[in-house]
Amino acid sequence: MKPISKRNRKIVGLFLIPTVVVLFFTTIYPMLYALWLSFRSYDLAKLFVPRVFVGLANYQEVLSSAGFFHALFITFKLMAFTLSVQLVLGVGIALLVAQRLPGMALVRTLLMTPMMIAPVIVGLVWLFVYFPELGYLNYFLGLIGIPPIPWITSIQWALTAIAIADIWQWTPFIMMGVTAALHSLSPEPYEAARIDGNSKIDVFLRVTLPQLKPVLISLLFLRAIDAFKIYDIIYVLTKGGPSDVTEVISLYIYRQSFTFWRMGVGAAASFVSLFVISVLITLFFRSMNRSAAAQA
Amino acid sequence: MSSVVLKNVTKRYGLHEVVHAIDLEVTEGEFAVLLGPSGCGKTTTLRMVAGLEDISSGEIKIAGRRVNDVEPKDRQIAMVFQNYALYPHMTVRQNMQFALKPQQLEAKEVAARIDEAARVLGLEPLLERKPSQLSGGQRQRVAMARAMVRTPKVFLFDEPLSNLDAKLRSQVRVEIAKLHKRLGTTALYVTHDQVEAMTLADKIVIMKDGNIEQIGSPEEVFARPRNLFVASFIGSPAMNLIEMTVESQGGRAVLKGAEITIPAPSGAAGKIKVGQRVTVGIRPSDLHIAKPADSGPVYDATVDVSEFLGTEVLLDLRVGGAEMTAQIPAQEKPAEDQAIRIAFDLNAVHLFDTASGVAV
Amino acid sequence: MTTGRVRDNVVTYLLVALVLIVFMTPIYLIVSSSLKPAPIMFSRPPAFLFTPTLQNYYDLFTMRPFHLQILNSLMAALGSTAVSVTFGSLAAYAISRVKARWMNDVAFWILSTRMFPPIAVVVPYYIIFKSLGLLDTPLALIIVYSTFNIPLTVWLMKGFFDEVPPALEEAAQLDGHGVVATFLYVVLPLAAPGLAVAAVFCFIFSWNEFLFALMLTGSNAQTVTVAVMSFWSSDAIQWGRIMAGSFIVLIPGVIFVLTCQRWLVKGLTMGSVKG
Repeated sequence: MKPISKRNRKIVGLFLIPTVVVLFFTTIYPMLYALWLSFRSYDLAKLFVPRVFVGLANYQEVLSSAGFFHALFITFKLMAFTLSVQLVLGVGIALLVAQRLPGMALVRTLLMTPMMIAPVIVGLVWLFVYFPELGYLNYFLGLIGIPPIPWITSIQWALTAIAIADIWQWTPFIMMGVTAALHSLSPEPYEAARIDGNSKIDVFLRVTLPQLKPVLISLLFLRAIDAFKIYDIIYVLTKGGPSDVTEVISLYIYRQSFTFWRMGVGAAASFVSLFVISVLITLFFRSMNRSAAAQA
Repeated sequence: MSSVVLKNVTKRYGLHEVVHAIDLEVTEGEFAVLLGPSGCGKTTTLRMVAGLEDISSGEIKIAGRRVNDVEPKDRQIAMVFQNYALYPHMTVRQNMQFALKPQQLEAKEVAARIDEAARVLGLEPLLERKPSQLSGGQRQRVAMARAMVRTPKVFLFDEPLSNLDAKLRSQVRVEIAKLHKRLGTTALYVTHDQVEAMTLADKIVIMKDGNIEQIGSPEEVFARPRNLFVASFIGSPAMNLIEMTVESQGGRAVLKGAEITIPAPSGAAGKIKVGQRVTVGIRPSDLHIAKPADSGPVYDATVDVSEFLGTEVLLDLRVGGAEMTAQIPAQEKPAEDQAIRIAFDLNAVHLFDTASGVAV
Repeated sequence: MTTGRVRDNVVTYLLVALVLIVFMTPIYLIVSSSLKPAPIMFSRPPAFLFTPTLQNYYDLFTMRPFHLQILNSLMAALGSTAVSVTFGSLAAYAISRVKARWMNDVAFWILSTRMFPPIAVVVPYYIIFKSLGLLDTPLALIIVYSTFNIPLTVWLMKGFFDEVPPALEEAAQLDGHGVVATFLYVVLPLAAPGLAVAAVFCFIFSWNEFLFALMLTGSNAQTVTVAVMSFWSSDAIQWGRIMAGSFIVLIPGVIFVLTCQRWLVKGLTMGSVKG
């Protein structure tokens, strides 16, 4: 589609310039700097050790460290858990509130609020809920006979506690997207199914779900990119502890850079994780294109 | 035994009544068409028969059984929708299988029914395709096949041809007619297109504003419209309607209006009063160019516009003070702005009381 | 009557009530805790009925220059929003209208900046801003936030621009209007809802941001999110004041959801959901 003449196209192309310039200086430049850091031994803790070029030493350390891979593992474990629960809950709640009943529109609006709250605040309120000895979650669990759970202080529960907070915040996002998608589906096939007598579960699995698939993939993709970077909530709730069971990649980088003051290592870890996520995204897009081509 | 019976059926949305206590009987094997303009309640009525809308009051029976509170799936009906209502992610075959699934038939039976429907509707090469790969006409045939495989007692059609372009419309119309002839199942069909109604129906039910205006065979509603609405709705081009008054002339009743005078048709003589305002209806096809042998009244007319249709010509005429359309064979085509003389058979004239709209 | 429908759907309404309790309780906690004096903050059973006090809010504004911090947050958010919406919509227009191979790569690069973990660029930004003397200024935050908001705006606006028929631009150009005039007076008004959505999202993201605000600002340009966290000192967590501050941080997001819900949905699902 060539809606405008060639000369005009060139002018419109120029519209890109402010953005490109800004982003260039704010992303490429800092990234190059970070890259430079990653090749240096930049230990701010050791005042008298010179900041020298150390080649790939930082990368070697990162790639051979159990800490880094552990952080990657925790990150993906958390992502897998939260995304799958968000998906199921989001779709379920969307179906529940998509019904045309009095008050549902208000319910849908109210349910959107968690995702607009600052992650730091989400962390704080869940800290309040989880707080050892004082938090109200254990109180109410106690009312139904469940013994108090050391949410953020125990190794078994810390990651789950974080997952719950994250799921709480982001399920509305999935719910909202699915609601919009459900709204765009044409109603007649559902009436036909009503006349033919197909069971509701059958209709959901074979009529609704296939139509929702593209939307769900899109939503999960957006969520995955953000979930990989998760930071604020964990910073508030556990700071990566206890004993690094909740140390996701962002926190590992934080710890290297600002607790141990080993900036070079932190930078190297950043680039390796960037590489990892780029590979994953490329694989994702490639498999999408392949399945799209297969369907055509 | 009547296949579908509506008794005193009313539909209300809140305080707003859209269907007013209608009565209708469709006999077994009959093809009944609900015809009317948008908003007349025909689709609402169809959906009440289907069970997709609740009945506010009255009773509907299908195959002798009261179905007011029966779920659509238990009414032994099948429906063909305006937008095809095909399941987008299933192939044609899977669409039909899914429709049959609740009936829990043996796989062999299911396959047999699908093959039969595909054969009848010419869908064999399309069975493994998805709806997005089909044309509008093909999709509608798949919708019909999906309804057919369920062997219902009643077929319901909701404006199935409205989404098709003109050429496809006549093709699929013929398919529907053939299907009905072959299966003989009772059909209830909704449309706003009177051509569809006239060609397909055994019985036409004309509706307006939630009321039934007339029920009859195509011939009946065409030749003997019960009121002005039916008269002007049926027939294309529409019937010419002229408002006139009954007067007495030389001891005989005449109709005067728009600067012309028409002697009252003999059959109407006893039913009209002097001074009564009547609307005279003459179908364009009943007007012809006056020939010397004509015995009836003859009128001067000027041709404003003439539209050539191939075998016929439509003349936009001015007769006295009235504008009329005449439909004449192409050979007799006069020149534009020419003055001609037209005539018509008095017995073909329809009379309606202007105030009430009812036929005289 | 609607009551009949409510009765038929008891199970649905029960489930909805459950869902609402789960998702609304934390927000209720923030509000109610902000009004509780410290002694009853964690009382068991929880104090549902109590005499509310505004002490926490009072403390918030007297123990910290909270009004200044709100101002800082506003400056950073509004500044970044203005920059991002302007630059981003220009770029989105170019991406939407100019179809070329290289354009796809540029678009991909712009959108890929979202994938980098922010923590990774904190140090470079710190050093760069320090050398430029921009540490602890709202400008630093405006720049950093724009880095994330511009791609977001581009993502959103491209979808809106795609929905404007090119025939309108062709008509305008046949009438003799230049490209810029066409963009400003023909295309932009039609994509205005998108601008509103983009502005809201840029604002919310900037207002809610924590990490960069923490690292790049000191006492002068500190934002509300950092200020709230500052009530968590090593000896005690001052819950009442934290909750009061949290409530204030909460406000813009909640307002936008309640008022612009339909547009927010459209913006967020743009590109994911058809029409």
